[in-house]
Amino acid sequence: MQTGPDKTRSVQLPGPAPRGWRAALRARLEGATATLAIPALLLVLFFFLLPVALLLARSILEPEAGLGNYAELLQSGAYRTVLLNTFTIASVVTVVTVLIGFPVAWLIAVSNRFWGMALLGLIFISMWTSLLTRSFAWLILLQSNGVINRMLKGLGLISEPLSLVNNMTGVVIGMTYILLPFVIFPLLSTMRAIEPGLLRAAALCGANRWQCFLHVFLPACVPGIAAGALMVFVMSLGYFITPVMLGGSSTMMLAELIVHLVQSLLRWGLGAAAAFILFAITLAAYALQLRLFDPLRSAKGGR
Amino acid sequence: MLLDFRHLGALRWVLVAIGLLVAGFLLLPVVFIVLLSFGSSRWLIFPPPGWTLKWYEAFFADPGWFAALGASLRVGLAAAVIAVVFGLGAALAMSRGRLRGAWWLHMLLLMPMVLPVVVLAVGIYSLALRAGLNDTFIGFVLSHAIVALPFTVIILVNGLNSFDPSLEDAAVLCGASRWRARLHVTFPSIRLSIITAVIFAFLISWDEIVISIFMAGPNLQTLPVKLWTTLRQDLTPVIAVASTMVLAFSLILLLIAAILTRRGR
Repeated sequence: MQTGPDKTRSVQLPGPAPRGWRAALRARLEGATATLAIPALLLVLFFFLLPVALLLARSILEPEAGLGNYAELLQSGAYRTVLLNTFTIASVVTVVTVLIGFPVAWLIAVSNRFWGMALLGLIFISMWTSLLTRSFAWLILLQSNGVINRMLKGLGLISEPLSLVNNMTGVVIGMTYILLPFVIFPLLSTMRAIEPGLLRAAALCGANRWQCFLHVFLPACVPGIAAGALMVFVMSLGYFITPVMLGGSSTMMLAELIVHLVQSLLRWGLGAAAAFILFAITLAAYALQLRLFDPLRSAKGGR
Repeated sequence: MLLDFRHLGALRWVLVAIGLLVAGFLLLPVVFIVLLSFGSSRWLIFPPPGWTLKWYEAFFADPGWFAALGASLRVGLAAAVIAVVFGLGAALAMSRGRLRGAWWLHMLLLMPMVLPVVVLAVGIYSLALRAGLNDTFIGFVLSHAIVALPFTVIILVNGLNSFDPSLEDAAVLCGASRWRARLHVTFPSIRLSIITAVIFAFLISWDEIVISIFMAGPNLQTLPVKLWTTLRQDLTPVIAVASTMVLAFSLILLLIAAILTRRGR
């Protein structure tokens, strides 16, 4: 038999124990459960909060105390170009992923179980297989004598090879490829939640297909589009591997700049400040998203 | 009618065409890299002049690649175990304990997923340099565990929420200790979530590259780091072999996860 305070719970059924004692025991048991979160909390403290705090400290303390690093980042033309690149690429990637993701989510929403699952499985696989490997594949595919260029040439569409890599085109193709799932999944769940009766009602009221799409279907999809677009935009702001591999010297993005400053130039203060700007933008975007749609609330049942 | 395939009219063929193109777009790089690893061209020309296994021989003959593969497996396993054990504790505390700040705790634990990984990487690097954790096994494991933790928390909280806590309470009422009840009633019931969490935590570590680039040193580098450094020096077909290995391993694990989820229904 067990010993210790746990055993006493079995006494609860017939137990004529005083109320206060029982409540105290319960509190103790549940208090003990709460302590189970401590290891995870310590991990988050030492490998998340502390590094981030350290970075913030370094950004305002090195090489000397003050906001000099931030001023340098925002004033220097070279760094401003990097910021501009980052926002441009993130915006283009967001628009392209939404334009491609929308019909794909729609197709999955209307296809039968088998084909829907097949497409979803494919998207899921591409989401969970190596980012590095897939970026590498695109690097080879998009080369000037690569498969894509030779195929286009063979079809007679182009006479000279297109420069598809080591520039912004390459970065956009690679990042669209990698971020596509993040717009398809939220869109799909929004579309699946749309009441089909709503569309039928619109049709019964005399709306044609185009009016139905524009005035009923599309507005109903807006939350999904917004969630997916925001997600893709924020994620692309911080991307490192794909832009480095598929981009060129003129398409440097914020993440690459941070790594360059810290690892090659050892300018920790400046690098930390750049990292903090990225962090702040990301947090702001997620705060916006939390305001619009609370993922935790929606995860706990309800839509 | 816009949500019914049969009533979409000509539009459905447009959707199907886009779907096929996107499916091809998603599959192309994965299939391409596997084919490339068997091609005989030193210069990664495709379609290759012939097929060969010599790049695989070169991969396994090179102690550097082999060591990286071993390091990735060890780091991945250790990081997965830590992320799942810590995540399970946190999930129990949040869904079972009467914790006032449960929402905040949940948000805090999900934060590492939200932060751009490059920021986390630079931060951890800065800390690791001071703590002497760079180029060490423990440094790799803990920094991978923090990236995997949000995912294990999500999976395990979902698992616990779909399990009726009164079953555990019943076991306790029948005389089992709280821990015994968990071990014999709760954990077996959510074993599917636990296994899924282990698989995905491993996959995250297996694929982690940005933090690893900073963590790696002459002593220890994982397979993606070795891939990355080799890539920047020289585009050899052995990279395609290493990529295929990374892909194959991920696909096998995903398949296991899918089969388990299926069986669980």
